[in-house]
Amino acid sequence: MVKEIIQYPTPLSVKYATDVRIFDEELFSLIDDLKDTIKENNLDGLAAFQIGNYFNVIVVKDDNGELIEMINPRLIAHSDKVTTEEKTAYYPNHSAKIQRYNKISVVYQDRNGKDCSMQATGKMAIVIQRKIDYTFGATFIQKMSKEEKEKFEAQLEGGIDVGYDEYCPTTFKRDYVLKGINIALIVMLLPVIASFFVDNTQLLEKMWNYQLYGSFVVMGMTIGYFFYGQYEGKIYTSCTSCQIGNIIGTCVIALIKLTLIMIASYFFINPS
Amino acid sequence: MARLVVLGGGVAGHTTATFAAKWLGSQHEVVVVTPNAKWNWIPSNIWVGVGQMTKEEVTFDLAPVYAKAGITYHQAKAVSINPEGKEDSDKPFVTIEYTSADKAGQTETIEYDYLVNATGPKLNFGATPGLGEGSQLGEHTVSVCTADHAVHASEKLQEAIEKMKAGTRQKFLIGTGHGMCTCQGAAFEYIFNIEHELKKAGVREMADIKWISNESFLGDFGMGGLHMKVGGYVVSSKLFAESLFAERDVEWMIGAHVSKVDAGKIEYELLDGTTGEEEFDFAMLIPPFAGVGLKAYNKAGEDITDTVFAPNGFMKVDANYNAGAYENWKASDWPRTYQNPTYKNMFAAGIAFAPPHIISKPMSSPNGTPINPTPPRTGMPSGIIGKAVAHSVCDLMTKGEDAKLHEASMAEMGAACVASAGKGIFNGTAAAMTVYPVVPDFEKYPGTGRDTDYTFGEIGLAGHWIKHILHHLFIYKAKLNPGWTLIPE
Repeated sequence: MVKEIIQYPTPLSVKYATDVRIFDEELFSLIDDLKDTIKENNLDGLAAFQIGNYFNVIVVKDDNGELIEMINPRLIAHSDKVTTEEKTAYYPNHSAKIQRYNKISVVYQDRNGKDCSMQATGKMAIVIQRKIDYTFGATFIQKMSKEEKEKFEAQLEGGIDVGYDEYCPTTFKRDYVLKGINIALIVMLLPVIASFFVDNTQLLEKMWNYQLYGSFVVMGMTIGYFFYGQYEGKIYTSCTSCQIGNIIGTCVIALIKLTLIMIASYFFINPS
Repeated sequence: MARLVVLGGGVAGHTTATFAAKWLGSQHEVVVVTPNAKWNWIPSNIWVGVGQMTKEEVTFDLAPVYAKAGITYHQAKAVSINPEGKEDSDKPFVTIEYTSADKAGQTETIEYDYLVNATGPKLNFGATPGLGEGSQLGEHTVSVCTADHAVHASEKLQEAIEKMKAGTRQKFLIGTGHGMCTCQGAAFEYIFNIEHELKKAGVREMADIKWISNESFLGDFGMGGLHMKVGGYVVSSKLFAESLFAERDVEWMIGAHVSKVDAGKIEYELLDGTTGEEEFDFAMLIPPFAGVGLKAYNKAGEDITDTVFAPNGFMKVDANYNAGAYENWKASDWPRTYQNPTYKNMFAAGIAFAPPHIISKPMSSPNGTPINPTPPRTGMPSGIIGKAVAHSVCDLMTKGEDAKLHEASMAEMGAACVASAGKGIFNGTAAAMTVYPVVPDFEKYPGTGRDTDYTFGEIGLAGHWIKHILHHLFIYKAKLNPGWTLIPE
């Protein structure tokens, strides 16, 4: 059965592929669907991933136009690095320069689970590499150089990240609290500097009280930052656990800064 | 007073013995038999191997630590186990052979009530002719498996750097030295630390660096790879590793079984059945692991090694060793209590237990040579298993034989791994990864068998700092300094 090929901007419906462990009718049917879809769309190859199936299966056209079924393919050796201008069915109207290998050795299983191997060169080698990338959860974007990726992204109306509802933001709301803490610390630093030019004991007394209130505010904001940070970390579960480490580290750094300012204030401002 | 004998003083054995000693107090006796005088934080051997740490920084003397913990310590290797005792006594015992300078070669028997086998692996250099660590075992390659090996590797690396400075190009070959190796992670760390050091020494342009391993894809790491969340996206460890190799300009060859090592040259066979040779000037190839060769005898003195140990020399535990083909493998095949099925007062922890099967997809060449990573059981899982076994044994000793055993299945356990890719306070790099569960559970998590919400990774300077902090933290813990029980495994 001809299947619909998922195309940009629709996100790939599965995020990764998994090895086939059971060779049964379900697998045969998937392979037949891949073949039908390749023929219908006159493609060089297709990964099951591209039609929304998470099995590690690809079908590629060899140099004679014959379709080769590869289950659980692995690229084990390569040589002859080349840069190719590639297209893929996921981004049908775009191409990009990708670094590949012109000669590869690939091992795989056939539909009966028999181990097979193949040495491929040229166009077929490139197609196999691209399709294997799909089986490990990547489009060819992950193989682009930084510059090529930027150029390619500029061609895409919605950018590369379209369709991903869960993402890790580059700035968090808690960062605003952190900014507030840093501003408060700078404001607290000013009286320390000013104290070198003030002799009036009454004024120094007021400045010391100001520092004490300031330290309570910074401590309160730091505690607030810590707990809000934990809450925000739970919202963005896709972000790594380093969040917790970062939050703790940031709080410790803020408290060290505050301590240093208060020590300096005690010696230079506190008149008693 | 009952006696627990722990064979081995590595991560698993040390964890078991120290926790058992703490929980049992002076009511019962804990004995450790280990051939080493020093404890070694093995993950940091990588840094010793590139000259960034000394042997002293990654090791410490065991005797004072065990004295402090009230543990009886024998610097000796275990030779055999008699789980049924002998003709005139039902008391089981182990036979040990001392390795300490004052008693070297002397043998002794130690009776036990409970035994934990945590002997770790035998570094089976002999499996590949010519493979070694620079000594009589094999003079052509180096190793970072022990602190002494790593010191030697560092010296050889310095020699190679001097040659490059003098204008001689050098080829570095790092990876696994046999088709059935584990510990790809250590070799992975070493190759990128070498690359980092060569850059620092200003000779990177004079070096060709190549990775060779028995993985069927880069980033398999003996766990069948992993799909981790990086910045919200699910990324395969294959793409993660390939990016790093491309970025650092490191060539790679995988699906390889190293069949022979000669001076400056290895012979290999690939998964596609082809064979070839690869030249090198400096090679660090991890050896395969095997059991340490413990024998077992019954009451009549007959050899029952096959009953107690699997053919690879690791101890049989409560795993399903009859799982059959790959398609039948299940998470439930993996052991939960690590109790020997025949002798209930024997347990195995860490590398010493026999896994039911590998984790990665089984692969072999058309010539029938198995080429696939064997399951990693080091680091965090070793510590967790060691602690669970200590719990079980302590309960059996204090509550009686019906006490419920504690469980720590690798199919229900997460693990964190921090892989260094270069040491430096400001320019260091490490890949921090967590995986849950270590052994995929395809029934619970259809697809990859893992929960991607708890499987994530990040590479950067912060990872290096974490790795460095962990170095100090785990050595602090292993020395039983105040608060050691609060530090997780």
